[in-house]
Amino acid sequence: MGENDANITFFKDGLRLDGRRADELRPLKIEVGILARADGSCYIEMGGNKVIAAVYGPREVHPRHLQEVTRAIVRYRYNMASFSVEERKRPGPDRRSYELSKVSREALEPVILTSYFPRSVIDVFVEVLQADAGTRTAGINAASVALADAGIPMKSMISSCAAGKVGGQLVLDPMKEEDNYGEADMPIAMTPDGRITLLQMDGHMTREELKTALDMAMGGCRQVYEVQRKALIDKYNQMEAEIIPDQEQPQEAEVL
Amino acid sequence: MSSVLSEIRKDYLYNMILKGTRADGRYFDQYREISIERGVIAKAEGSARVKLGSSQVLVGIKMQPGEPFPDSPNRGVIITNAELVPLASPTFEPGPPNETGIELARVVDRGVRESKAVDLEALCITPGKQVWIIFIDVHILDDCGNLIDASSLGAIAALLSTKVPASKFGLGEDHPLPIRDLPIATTAIEFGDVVMFDPDSDEESIANSRLTVITTADGSICGLQKSGTGVLNLEKVHHIVDIAGEKAKEIREKFLEV
Amino acid sequence: MDRMVVIPGDLLSKEAKRSGEGTFVKDGMVYSLLYGLANFKDKINVIPLAGKYVPSSGDSIIGVVKDVTFSNWIIDINSPYDGLLHVSEYPKRIESDEMSKVLRIGTSIMTRVKDVDSTMKVELTLNDRKLGVLKTGRVIEISHTRVPRLIGKGGSMISMLKRELNCNIFVGQNGRIWINGSAEDMDLALKIILLIEKEAHTSGLTDRVIDYLKQEKRARS
Repeated sequence: MGENDANITFFKDGLRLDGRRADELRPLKIEVGILARADGSCYIEMGGNKVIAAVYGPREVHPRHLQEVTRAIVRYRYNMASFSVEERKRPGPDRRSYELSKVSREALEPVILTSYFPRSVIDVFVEVLQADAGTRTAGINAASVALADAGIPMKSMISSCAAGKVGGQLVLDPMKEEDNYGEADMPIAMTPDGRITLLQMDGHMTREELKTALDMAMGGCRQVYEVQRKALIDKYNQMEAEIIPDQEQPQEAEVL
Repeated sequence: MSSVLSEIRKDYLYNMILKGTRADGRYFDQYREISIERGVIAKAEGSARVKLGSSQVLVGIKMQPGEPFPDSPNRGVIITNAELVPLASPTFEPGPPNETGIELARVVDRGVRESKAVDLEALCITPGKQVWIIFIDVHILDDCGNLIDASSLGAIAALLSTKVPASKFGLGEDHPLPIRDLPIATTAIEFGDVVMFDPDSDEESIANSRLTVITTADGSICGLQKSGTGVLNLEKVHHIVDIAGEKAKEIREKFLEV
Repeated sequence: MDRMVVIPGDLLSKEAKRSGEGTFVKDGMVYSLLYGLANFKDKINVIPLAGKYVPSSGDSIIGVVKDVTFSNWIIDINSPYDGLLHVSEYPKRIESDEMSKVLRIGTSIMTRVKDVDSTMKVELTLNDRKLGVLKTGRVIEISHTRVPRLIGKGGSMISMLKRELNCNIFVGQNGRIWINGSAEDMDLALKIILLIEKEAHTSGLTDRVIDYLKQEKRARS
């Protein structure tokens, strides 16, 4: 976390610099199935983040020694385009992208039924085209949708969102300025019923703040989930509508 | 992760060609649909997303002040890079660019450099000390064939949308990057005695050879690249160059000129 | 409502016994494992909109020779797993050094899955008169999830197509389909099959296919 600069105020009239309430997400847009070659794909805009996820597989494992006899392995590659950040990033992986790839894979793997596809690999590729704080959460959200789009069996979706602390206040889904100058950032990912699959934090929070921040981030994940769900259902209805323009569409599942 | 194209599929493509058409119904010199979206990445000084049929590429331009090359002390510097990320094709693998990626970047670079599309003298800040460095980064998103044409078009479209970020570095006001030419790359493949422009992935995989012709706005040639192990006779080369000039003109007028 | 779009994790029923394909049971309740269409009959099945073909014993499929080893042909079967065709599963006795001439790389075959073990070693056979090498005609690929729709209830759709289209059609469970007939008939067959693939998840499909066939035939004559 950057130094807390006393000259920066993060709130004006109770609202954040971009006009959001403390517990409000940035605008979120999700599109399903945007790539022709991939088995499943998703494009997400989460605030200023623009991220694409693609899923290939299950497919043959190369090199072969990585194969597991009883299950599919999952690989996740988080990569930033050179032009995605303010100062051009050198192409290729660095220590940060290795770490993010690892924790993101571990965020998704618990819900994937890897035992259905022994000796194969499910590859998840995430490309950050524009970065604006929270790229890993955007990547996980897109990857989860791309996995569903690829027909991969999963026990549930995974949704991800961060909570942060700026100017002593807790905020949901921090944007770049809040992330750079704030006191803490805590990305999480979870299943819709609240089981946490990713949890990281850097900065400083009291125990009480941590508790509130977790509640806040989980609330954010639930909102993200609704958008993921809608994107998938809408894609189906859109396909259907192109074929039979006037027919009544099948309803979406009621959440019982 | 090579996939075999079955003999039966090859026979089919060949039979279509004998009948004078292609698997997707195009004429031999017909391009797939093209669309260009400029300024899609706000963090970049310039950007363009190009769709050529189902192929998709994103080109981002970043600029920063740096040292000139000793042999051109008062000219800006262009550095072109292409990333064939594994998201874009089942055959791409993670890792540093392979020969295909490097060839792609170099052909894109050739078009911009040899056409003198960018006024490099205008990018000198302090002669011998400081000039603007332009990074052209080609990011492949979906490989459904003919990445060279899509990427080259993306590069020039992105450069056209580029603002020199002078104020960020205390070097005066931001201003548009001076562009003097509009190079267009057009690629054809040769297969079974016919020539087809804008090949898709299947066509690329059966091609004996490929020729890219880069044409400038005045209709002259500023770059060529033949690849593949097949041979081209003189007649074919002239044929490709002629059509390339026409196609480039159409694309330039439709997508790059106001 | 007997059909609806679901995503992974959607609750489908509170009765565990209704769990069918593409679902799982947790704490006595049935949830979806897939993004697809849930069909509510006695059992609830979820039919995915996409996914890879996983071979099982007895499947008739179309493969392409991708490599030849000492005693096996390695067959691409449009799946995460390659098929192995042992030299002894070829209908005629041949020597090991003739293998690459008998079935060259790139050759398409109609084959059957003889056995799949728990590590997904897939053994194929050509030992049946209905099976063999595909030399003429065309092969197209559709998603294997659409195959049941192309075949239809009790084979109704596919027999109708064979009759109306004047073509020989072999539907591989792995989503590869072989068509053989006159060039004109094959063109129409291809259009119809792609239509079925695109609209497989919709209702009233058979009627639309018949309408389309009539239209095309009228246009021809």
